[in-house]
Order: sequence, then structure tokens, then C-alpha cells
Amino acid sequence: MTTARLGLVEVEGLTWRPYGRREPVLRDVHLTFRPGERVLLAGPSGAGKSTLLRALAGLLGSVEAGDLSGSVTLDGVAPGARAGASGLVLQEPGSGVVAATVGRDVAFGLENVGTPRALMPERVTAALAAVGLDDLPLDTPTSALSGGQTQRLALAGTLALDPSLVLLDEPTAMLDPGSALEVRSAVAGMLEREPRTLVVVEHVLGPWVDLVDRLVVLDADGRVVADGAVGEVLSAERERLLAMGIWVPGAPDPVALPLDAGLVAPRRPVGDAPALAAAPMEVTRTTRLLDGSTRTSLAARLEEPLVAAPGSLSVLVGPSGSGKSTLLHALAGFLDPEPGDAVRVTTGTGPSDPRDLAPGGLARSLAWVPQWAGSTIVAGTVLDEVLVTSRVVGADGPAAADRAHRLLDALGLGHLAGADPRELSGGEQRRLAVLAALHHGPPVLLADEPTIGQDRHTWAAVVGLVAAYREAGGAVVAATHDAAVVARAGTVHEVRAPVRDRPAPGPRRTPLLARCAPLALLAGALLAVPAGVLSPHWSTSLAVLATQVVLAVVGLWAPGRGVGPTGRVRGVLLRLVPGALAALSVGWSTWWLAGRDADTALTVALRVLVIVLPSAVLLPWLDPDRLGDHLAQRLGLPDRTVVATAAAVHRVHTFGAVWTEIGRARRVRGLGSSARHPAALVRHLGALTFGLLVRTLRAAAELAVAMDSRGFATARRRTWWSPAPWRGGDTLLVLLAVVPIAVSVLAR
Amino acid sequence: MSTTTTQAPPGRRSITATRPLLGWRTVDILTITFLGAAFGIVFWGWALAYEPLSKAVSVAYVPLSGLFTGPWLLAGVVGGLVVRRPGAALLCEVVAALVSMLPGTQWGATTLMSGILQGLGAELAFALLGYRSYRLPAAVLAGVLAVPLEWLFETFSVPASWTDVPLLGDLTGGGAWYGELLLRDKLAYLGALAVSGAVLAGLVGWLLTRALARAGALSAFPPGQELRETGAV
Repeated sequence: MTTARLGLVEVEGLTWRPYGRREPVLRDVHLTFRPGERVLLAGPSGAGKSTLLRALAGLLGSVEAGDLSGSVTLDGVAPGARAGASGLVLQEPGSGVVAATVGRDVAFGLENVGTPRALMPERVTAALAAVGLDDLPLDTPTSALSGGQTQRLALAGTLALDPSLVLLDEPTAMLDPGSALEVRSAVAGMLEREPRTLVVVEHVLGPWVDLVDRLVVLDADGRVVADGAVGEVLSAERERLLAMGIWVPGAPDPVALPLDAGLVAPRRPVGDAPALAAAPMEVTRTTRLLDGSTRTSLAARLEEPLVAAPGSLSVLVGPSGSGKSTLLHALAGFLDPEPGDAVRVTTGTGPSDPRDLAPGGLARSLAWVPQWAGSTIVAGTVLDEVLVTSRVVGADGPAAADRAHRLLDALGLGHLAGADPRELSGGEQRRLAVLAALHHGPPVLLADEPTIGQDRHTWAAVVGLVAAYREAGGAVVAATHDAAVVARAGTVHEVRAPVRDRPAPGPRRTPLLARCAPLALLAGALLAVPAGVLSPHWSTSLAVLATQVVLAVVGLWAPGRGVGPTGRVRGVLLRLVPGALAALSVGWSTWWLAGRDADTALTVALRVLVIVLPSAVLLPWLDPDRLGDHLAQRLGLPDRTVVATAAAVHRVHTFGAVWTEIGRARRVRGLGSSARHPAALVRHLGALTFGLLVRTLRAAAELAVAMDSRGFATARRRTWWSPAPWRGGDTLLVLLAVVPIAVSVLAR
Repeated sequence: MSTTTTQAPPGRRSITATRPLLGWRTVDILTITFLGAAFGIVFWGWALAYEPLSKAVSVAYVPLSGLFTGPWLLAGVVGGLVVRRPGAALLCEVVAALVSMLPGTQWGATTLMSGILQGLGAELAFALLGYRSYRLPAAVLAGVLAVPLEWLFETFSVPASWTDVPLLGDLTGGGAWYGELLLRDKLAYLGALAVSGAVLAGLVGWLLTRALARAGALSAFPPGQELRETGAV
């Protein structure tokens, strides 16, 4: 395959207009990249840079329909002609992760092109070595990687298919400086090993200048306006690049946008009392896993007291993963600190614990802007988004609306007042989020990486807004990596990553069930249904239930040497709660309806338990990736559907985090649920569900692009990284699952 | 690379998926499975709310509890309305059922069977319309047709007179969740399910799809395209 690799890219007259847009995103683009050329692609937000990358990957139509004219070829053929000939790495770390373990993730492209399983480990190891991840065992969970490692993993995934063209879409925009350097070094190392054509989209040019030969600039209309050697273009087009908001190396920081401080003044008269104060504290994080067990670890530590005095800026600095965001969450009352009374906010009636405040009271006391501005959107129009919290705290009225319009105008969002905020660009959403957090005049703003991923214009707008707020007496606490923001701070808090408890070394024992094939587990759960239905009387059900309990004990037994698993029984009991409640209520209503006949009631209730218990015992051991292996290789279900289902089940654990985040954003904006107002509760749950669905759909679209760039669209005869073995134990499990049925028939 | 276009039919017809209808794009498959997974979590949550609600009305009349079944039929309706390809409704409902039973529900593994039966019903509705109509009546039809198979599954029980029939005789003592109801009450239960399917799955599913399109989350799919063609940005 090495002889085929060239990397000659020819784009001729490419024009693309997605349906529903009047203007094309790309206009008559002509470009030729020589094999091995390294190109940096720059332009203002919305210039079609990402679109051009997708065109080069042959993925333009994969998630959007539209009018396309002109041509793109890679080595004379369409870019998608050989799967993986052009590899694409996306901006958001993790958006392209397809599997639960590192080895399987890198092998994804190889599976799609039908590489024999025996050849996979060697190619996977080589790809991981090319990005400096060869020290990771192949079974490392992808969820345990840092942002920088995740981006390198994505790069390794493309390298496994030996691409002649590598496309990077702002690969470091969401990373801290250390992780960004790590990714750039991996790219440099990759190019050193083998020459490949490289196209990088970035708006922070400085760090990439030494790595590339050529700079291509697109304007806001999607036209190529400058193209040449990187040094020449940088000096000849400097003013134009600055006007586009691009971070040109050597240019001074942009001037903060001047804003009238009166527009964002805190509502309460500014006294000397700090708006928020925190004593040194620790925050632990508890993750609940799908199998019902929990894992607790120290997530963050604040080492010296933090005081947010009027007009001050305190910043939390430290590497990614050190716990800065977690500390902000604790300051906002979303997490429990240790000691419990460490955080105090000043309210109208004196100091309070933010955890105790109702949503309205919390909104009056503080504002919070998370790193992902899109997740805090709570309203249907941009203007409503700004006014929502003001309405809750009773600060609305014509004057407030007028102020909102003036602020929107000042931030360049005035023409969008009636638009749906979810349709805005990332930079626009960020400005809107800060504005919406401040409009109702909270005394303190907690901001998480307020300037990350911004171009010069949005940077100036956010920094200007924060400066005006401070001038008017607002206090700001920000987690940041941005040196220019740190330079403006009065207090700098170094956050150090707490030493994590390492998992106990040595061999680990797993329950017998964890060693069983997923199809056997599923069959075992389903066989409980006839066992329950066939039981004619509670005495039979009781015998069946007893059999099931004995079998469960055997299945959960973890023989062997080493550290045993914990929380097995607890997990089963926890998952049995809904079933037990249902058994109770079914039994009760039958008793009520069947003329107070305890016999019938008991029969019905126990039947429910018989059906539910095996599911509670067996299903937690169902691993999505292995289930996919079995559904495709053993049952012959369609490959692509199976892979997509496994990917979706694999992401379920992230849905809980999304749900929590949207809930927090609503609470801090003054929109919460309350048991006393059922209508508000329904509205709240509806909004959370809707937010979850929107985020889910976005994730699916991103993953589709990542998968298609690794040959998934054309995967007809896939091979599989893992076999789907059926062992004696699996047969035994199914046979044992039949025993309760036999008992139900015989024990009458 | 050739020019790709999707027909944007004028007037009141629905925009269908790109041809061939069975040529599922990656984004179609992933969207259906991801939607299914998200609905699975919603289903699980609804199961907790369902119990007190259904018990409250059961005190008055047991078949009324069927009025609260609609939300579990949403995945099939929405999956069909969004992707508009044969199999979309079925797959979405099955994935949702699979995910909702993982954390543990009061129905155990029967959840998966219900998912298959409900998904088949919704799929049947879209098939009857030739995979051409996705307007409100189609959504309501899908919500209603998601019901009958599930109803059979929940109410079917072997008549007591079969006690002497080999094998089947073993089933006579048992029965489904609502196996003990009289036929009259079973039919009332079917009616309650259908009303719930029409409103809570059909109408709500249609509104939800429209809201998702408005939020810009369906730009890759016909509903998003319909919205954009009516008001190009």
C-alpha cells in the first residue's frame, strides 16, 4: 500500500451551497497542493474552512445536502475512492471516538476496509507509536485519556489507514497550552516518519508557522484571498488577517471592546462585603457506573482562601484536569465541598450557602458561564435568552429590554435578537452566554475558560464585557489558561492536580458472569419471562425465585486470586428497586380489585419479581462493544447498524453528564423545578430532555463525519478487531437459565 | 465529484430522504441509534413517573392506566419522522428499549420485546403511507399503530378451557400483565392506549421533531430541510 501514497490535491472551481442558505459557503475555490506539502488554512469565523476540509475528505454531502459544483480530486480520483486516503481529525476531543478501548478505536478503519484480524495488532501498534501513544496498553479505556491524548488517538486512527492526506480541523482549539504542544509534537513526529500532505485549519497561527510551508486564507464569502509561502503571506496580509480576527504571530493582544459600565452594573448596592468567599476546601467526585457501583475520588483542592471582592478578578490556573472547573462548580453550589460550610455567598439577608438557595435566589447571588456556551441556552430567541433571568428576579421592564438591545448591539449581536440562539456560531454563543449571565446584575461571575477557542474579535468582546462589569463593581472568578487574562487578575490561585488513588495493583478477580458472552446474558434475562408467566401460584413462584437467587449467587461469585470486585449485591438491589416497587403496586392493586384476595395478589407480585430479578443480575455485565461483536458475527445482523448501536450505548454514560450540566445551567439562571409547582417541574424536565436530544443529535452528526472519514460509509464486508467466542460457560449459563422454567412447570 | 441535489417538492408534500430509501447514510444510522439511546434514558425516567400515575387512575378503572403509555412510543414516531427511511422507526424504538432496560426497570427483559412490538407497529404506519408522508396525520397514525401488537402482548392469556391441552395448558394459570382483565376491559385498555399513542406519541412526537428542526439539530435530515426551504437564512 505504500507505493500508492502520493497526496496530490487538486480543487477546481469548487462551489457549495447547503440547502436553505441563500449564499454559497465556498465560492469558486481553485487550489493545488503538492504531495507532501504542509498547508495552514485560515480565515474568519464562518468562512467555510471546515467545509473545505470536509470537501477534501470527500465528506461534503455526508451530513448536509446542497448544491455542489466543481471538482476535488486526491491523486486523480475522488477523495473517498480509497477509504481512509484522507484522514480527518475534528476540533472537539472525543467527538470522533468510536470504541471503548484504545486498540479497538484505532482498528476501526482497518475493520471497515476488511483487514484480516491477524494483521491488525501490528498496524494499530505502529499507528499509536507514530503519535507517541505506544506506552498505552491496547485495552486502555478511551474515556480515561486526557484531551491531548484523545486528539492524538484520533490522529492514530487515521494513520492506521495510511492516508496520503491528513486534515486537521482546529485540533488544539479546545486544549490547554501543554496539551496543544503535545498534539503539535505528534503531528511533527508523524510527518518526520513519512511524508504526507497536511492541511491544518487554525485561527491561532503562531504555534503552527514553523510546521507548515504554505498559508491559504479564505474570506468571509468563502473565496481564496491569499495563498503563498507562510512567511510572505503573514507579512503581506497582516492587516487583513488581523481584521479577520486571526491571531497573527507577534501581534499585540487586541484592545478590549469599550463598553458602558452602567449597562452591566450589579443590582445590589456595592458594599465592601465580598460577593463570594471560600475557605480552603476539597471536592470529591463520585461517578455512578452503569453496573450500579460508584467510584469516588478527590477531584480538586483549593489551597488558600478565595475572596471575590467587588471589582476584583481572581483566576484559577493549572494544567487540564487539575480541577479548576470542579472548583468553580463547588463555588456555584453544584458540588459539596469539604468542609461543608466552605463557600459563602452574600445575599440580601446575609451570608448563605449557595447549595441552600432556591434557583431564583441563586441567580440573584451569582452567575456561571461554563466552557461550552451552547449548553446554557434556555430560551428560543437571542433577546429572550438575555432577559430570562431578569424576568425571574423581577428586574424586567422596558428599561431592561432597552439595555438588552444596547448590549446586543455593542457586542455585534443586535441583528440576531430574534434568531434562535442554538443557530448561532460558537463565538456568537459565547458572547451571548456572558451577556445573558450578567444582564440581571448578579454580584459575582464565575467563568470557565471564558476566552478559549475565541478569535481576536470575540476575545475583545468577552474581555471588554468582563472589564465593564468589574468597573461597575462586579466580582469575577475565572478558570483560565489565557496569559492575557491572568495578567489582568488581582489574585492568582494555583490549582494542583490532587494525587489520585491508584487502583489496587495485582490481578483482579471478576465474577463468572463478567466472563460470559453478551448473547448468553441476554438469553438468560429473556428466559426469565416464561419462568414468570408459567408460575401458576405464588408457592411455585417462590420456588422459582429461590432457584434464581441460588443461580445469581453462583453467577456473581468471583473465584480465583487477586482483588475482588465490590458492590455486586448492592448493585443488584439498586436495580431491583423499580421492579420491587412495581411488584408491590401490582400486588396491591390486584388485592384491591380481586376482592381482597391475598393469594392472587401475592401470585401476581411474585411473578413480576421472577421476571425482573435475572435482568437485574445479568444485564450490567453486558459490554456494548462485545454485544456488537456478537450481534454481527454470531447473529449476522447488519454490520453498520450493530456498530452504530454499540457506539450509542457506549455514549449513554455521557448523557448523564449532559443532563446534569443543562440542569445546573438552568438552576443558576433562575429556572429550576420545584415540587410545589408541578407545571414548572414538567416544563423543567421537558427542557432538560429537549436539551439532551439536541446535544445527542449534534454528537451523532460529528461522529458520522469522523466515522465516514475512516471508511465507514463504504464498509460492506467488515472484519472485527475482536472475535466473538462462545464458550462452554455460555452454554452452561443458558442451560442454567432454563432451570427456573423447569421448576415453574414441575413444582406445582 | 458530481452535483448532488435533493428534490424539494413544492407545496404540501413531505420531503423524503435521499434515494435510494434503503441507502442509509452513516449519519442516518448514528442519528437513529443515538436518538434511541437518549430516548432510552427518557423511557427509564418515565417508568418511575408512570407507576404512581397509573396506580392513581387504576383505583378508578384499571384500563385507564393505558393513557400513560404514550411516551414509550415516542422513539419510533420521532425516529421515523426524522430519518424517513424504512426501518428507522423500528430501530429507534428497539435501541431505546434496550438502553432503558440496562439500568433496571420494573419489566425486566420484557422491555426489549415491547420495544420490538411497538417499533414494528410504528414502522407499519410509515410503510402504509409508502414512506412518503410525514405530516401530522402520519405521526398520529404511527403513534396509534404502535399500540396493537403491544396490547396483544400485554393482555393475551391462554383461555382456562385449554387446561388439558399439552404444553399450552401450562400457560393457562399465568398470563400477561393484564391477562386477568375481562375482554370488555381489555378493549377499553386498547382504546386508552390508542388515545395515548395518538396524543403523547403522535402529536408530541411531531411537535418535538419540529422543535428539533427549529433548534438547528436536524440540518442533515428532511425535517431540517423543510424548515430551511420555507425560510432560507
